[in-house]
Amino acid sequence: MSADYHDHDDHHPSPWGPHDWGHGAPHNSWSPLILSIGSGMFLLTLGGLFTFGEYDGRYLPMVFVSLCVMAAALIVWCRQDMSFDGSYEPRSVGVPFKNIQIRKVGVWVFLMSEMMIFSSLFSTYMRYRQGIPRCDTVFESGDWVEGVAVTCFEPASKLIASSWWHIAPGAINTFALIISSFTVVQALRWANKPVGSVDEEVRRKRVYRYLAATWCLATLFLTLKMIEWFIGFHVPEIGFLGLHEHDIHSLYSEGYLINNDHYQAHHYVDEATGAHMVANIQVSATLFYVTTGTHGVHVFGGIIGLTYLTYKAWTGAYNPQSAVSIEYFGLYWHFVDLVWVLVFPFFYLY
Amino acid sequence: MSNKILGRDAYWMNFYGLMLLTLIEVAAVGADLGSTAEGIGMTERQITLWILTVIAIPKFIMIAAIFMHLWGENDSGILTLTALFPAFFIIIMVLFIGMTHPDGGTSLPDWCRPGTYGL
Repeated sequence: MSADYHDHDDHHPSPWGPHDWGHGAPHNSWSPLILSIGSGMFLLTLGGLFTFGEYDGRYLPMVFVSLCVMAAALIVWCRQDMSFDGSYEPRSVGVPFKNIQIRKVGVWVFLMSEMMIFSSLFSTYMRYRQGIPRCDTVFESGDWVEGVAVTCFEPASKLIASSWWHIAPGAINTFALIISSFTVVQALRWANKPVGSVDEEVRRKRVYRYLAATWCLATLFLTLKMIEWFIGFHVPEIGFLGLHEHDIHSLYSEGYLINNDHYQAHHYVDEATGAHMVANIQVSATLFYVTTGTHGVHVFGGIIGLTYLTYKAWTGAYNPQSAVSIEYFGLYWHFVDLVWVLVFPFFYLY
Repeated sequence: MSNKILGRDAYWMNFYGLMLLTLIEVAAVGADLGSTAEGIGMTERQITLWILTVIAIPKFIMIAAIFMHLWGENDSGILTLTALFPAFFIIIMVLFIGMTHPDGGTSLPDWCRPGTYGL
């Protein structure tokens, strides 16, 4: 630490922490660490709330406490970052990341840990998909007895890919995420345009509109996921398209649930005898909901980040100097899109 | 990013490419590939999986290279290596997932059974 740094130590009087960027203060905020602790507490206590499917109210106060910790950390972090105008972006001085922004390297290291999380989920999926016989294979083999649940793998795609209408929410979501990746890079492009080459009011409007569009697409993603999981939708009769009025049921109403050990589907009825195969689909449903749910939580986290970025962009805070914040968020958001590139075909289509 | 693809803006070209590949993906699932699969000695499900896998790889690379700036920037090389670092652990995890199961030595397919790779 240089003498010069000490000379300017008294420039950090704010209770919100060191954010006097003009004097070279590093962004040594405690907020991300507190946010992580809050997230850990939340997951732990939420798990305790529903131990083995039984509700245990003793954990409820701690769930709220952990949510408050997360909210407080987020508010302080946003408040600290609001004053960041890009005047000081620390760069690494050692190999192998020499001259690369430290925060950028930090985001990549964070993404590495994220890759490991999703790799665990994918390898678990592969393991069980290979190791447990498919329900339709078991049904066709006739190796089952009516009334006795048989443990087998029923991929969600059996329901989701059964018709164009069933697959519509997932397919629209795929396009929504790709478009949202594009709107983020467009926001970055406009924020990065050299000063003087574009009117500042035009820059402000373009950046916040692109970020707001990303926010809308992310919200659309979660809304369609809720429709697909819990709500379903109604298809009206459209004569000239040859469409008949019918309902598309949600996965919930189809009984595709993590605790369903007596799953009954209309396609598992023996036409000759009328016998109905019942299946224990706890493993396959759990894998589907945990993997796509983990991805959905990442989208939700992105919405929180986008809410802040859009507000900051609305104030006109982004310019070529401070555009790095959009770039770092963009890395996370593209990663979320990248994961969906794998989740969609293997969990929704196959 | 100031790079161009086929003389056009890289972001736009990447966006068009991703949309096209996704359309092919959805069409592949909806299409009746039964006769094609029969012709090459595969099941329809197998051929669909192949198509989906083959399409997912370029989509993955396009997002990482263009949108995440792992191509064409000064720091692209070292950041690509950083991004690929977990691949080592992922390969171990995927190849040896059989080790996580008590019946791994006898009941799993060869490709994920311990010992298959002489290790």
